[in-house]
Amino acid sequence: MPVICALLPRLSLLAAVGGRRELLGEPVALAPEPGRRAVVGEASNAAEALGVTPGMAVGEALARCPELRLVPPDPDGARRRWGQALDGLERIGAAPESDRPGEAFFASDGLRELHGGRTEDVLAAARRTLPAGVRLGAGPSRFCSRAAAGRARPGRPLTVSEEEQARGFLAPLPVALLRSRPELAELPDVLERLGLRTLGQLAALSAAAVSERFGHPGLLALDLALGRDTPLDPRRPPEPVAERLDLPEAASGAQLERALELLVARVLARPERRGRALRSLVLTARFVEGGTWRRPVTLRTASAEPERLGLALAPRLSELPAPAESLGVEVEAFGPPAHEQAALPGDPTAAAAVRQRRIGEAIGQARRAAGEHAALRVLEVDPDSRVPERRAVLAPYPVEGGRPRSGP
Amino acid sequence: MTPGLRRLAEPRTSNVEAGAGGRPVALGRAPVEAVIEEWVVEDRWWTGEPLRRRHFELVLVDGRDVVVFRDLVSGRWYEQRS
Repeated sequence: MPVICALLPRLSLLAAVGGRRELLGEPVALAPEPGRRAVVGEASNAAEALGVTPGMAVGEALARCPELRLVPPDPDGARRRWGQALDGLERIGAAPESDRPGEAFFASDGLRELHGGRTEDVLAAARRTLPAGVRLGAGPSRFCSRAAAGRARPGRPLTVSEEEQARGFLAPLPVALLRSRPELAELPDVLERLGLRTLGQLAALSAAAVSERFGHPGLLALDLALGRDTPLDPRRPPEPVAERLDLPEAASGAQLERALELLVARVLARPERRGRALRSLVLTARFVEGGTWRRPVTLRTASAEPERLGLALAPRLSELPAPAESLGVEVEAFGPPAHEQAALPGDPTAAAAVRQRRIGEAIGQARRAAGEHAALRVLEVDPDSRVPERRAVLAPYPVEGGRPRSGP
Repeated sequence: MTPGLRRLAEPRTSNVEAGAGGRPVALGRAPVEAVIEEWVVEDRWWTGEPLRRRHFELVLVDGRDVVVFRDLVSGRWYEQRS
């Protein structure tokens, strides 16, 4: 299954500089995201030429390049730009998978006949719809196409056609390429310390040896080096439901919570919701000083209750690292139609005795009809056990003279 | 187990598809939307029947919130109410 990779380098940096494109000619890099590790993000060519690399500690980057300018990141803007690019791919019929802005994969199988019959025609159609500067690569697997795109020039896609050819193509490449997979981010350092510098050296090892030494990540890395990969998981087309609210100057504490309540109420009132509960939301903010912030929140149970949504989102407000000029809530995924029922009111004390007597009668009748084990009760055995099946057992319901016994 | 008593929340075997790093990517035909929590339980290591489980709390795309675990001794997957 040929896979095509579209790579748009420095998308996050482009989004952060916005209209100030002239900055890209100077040594600039993305400042650390508020509340995250103090490392620089994507860097311009000029900054990289002076030794600044993405992921480098801010102190080290400034020591290497004192004239380096740090621009606040705009993850919201990057996501918006990349969303438009993915929309473009979907317009040519592709079903893209994209876990991070600036990197997308899609299968070319079903597209070739739509665009002229060859993989090259699909690549040309993708190039026409994607922003300038995109690098395209095609290969038999996701990882191989990513490696090809990383070596392609803008406007000149690189194609690796067969699995055998893929092994040859990947063999001389450095194991550092495995870092393109977040779950393998730590592995290349270990491999290099052991003297394994290329994917070919890794591919020459036996699966048993790799499994013994590196476990699951090692086996995945071996598969990637051999030109194999896990199947693509295309994105589900989004249903954009978002609300944003401008905040008064220096809004904090109760004001932010009130703004959040309003946003939740507005989102719930949107007609696109069509009565569905919400399963996954994103809290976003735009800072007074520039830059944006996003925090996804997935609910344990989909809900359309404003109180529950508020309880899930409000703790995130305390993570806001700087004064915000606007706050937003976006729906990422809907749940089933909302049909939650209210709890029954508690029994009044006077009615409890009557209820107990009736339960006793019912248990007696059930046992006469269906045997001694027809009525059971939950008995806590070790309620604090870390093993769920040891916490409670079902035991026969104790009944004395037709009335349930109150004690255990 | 005493006669007449039955354990609650007994684990049931489950058809979990694991992805990279051994994390579940699908339960049956339902893909996993998010892994909410992950934890390991090790118990009875001093006996001949040690218990070693890697648990995952999952939200599936159909909205279900389920807890599954991989028995690290047998390698099998189970679903369990927690």
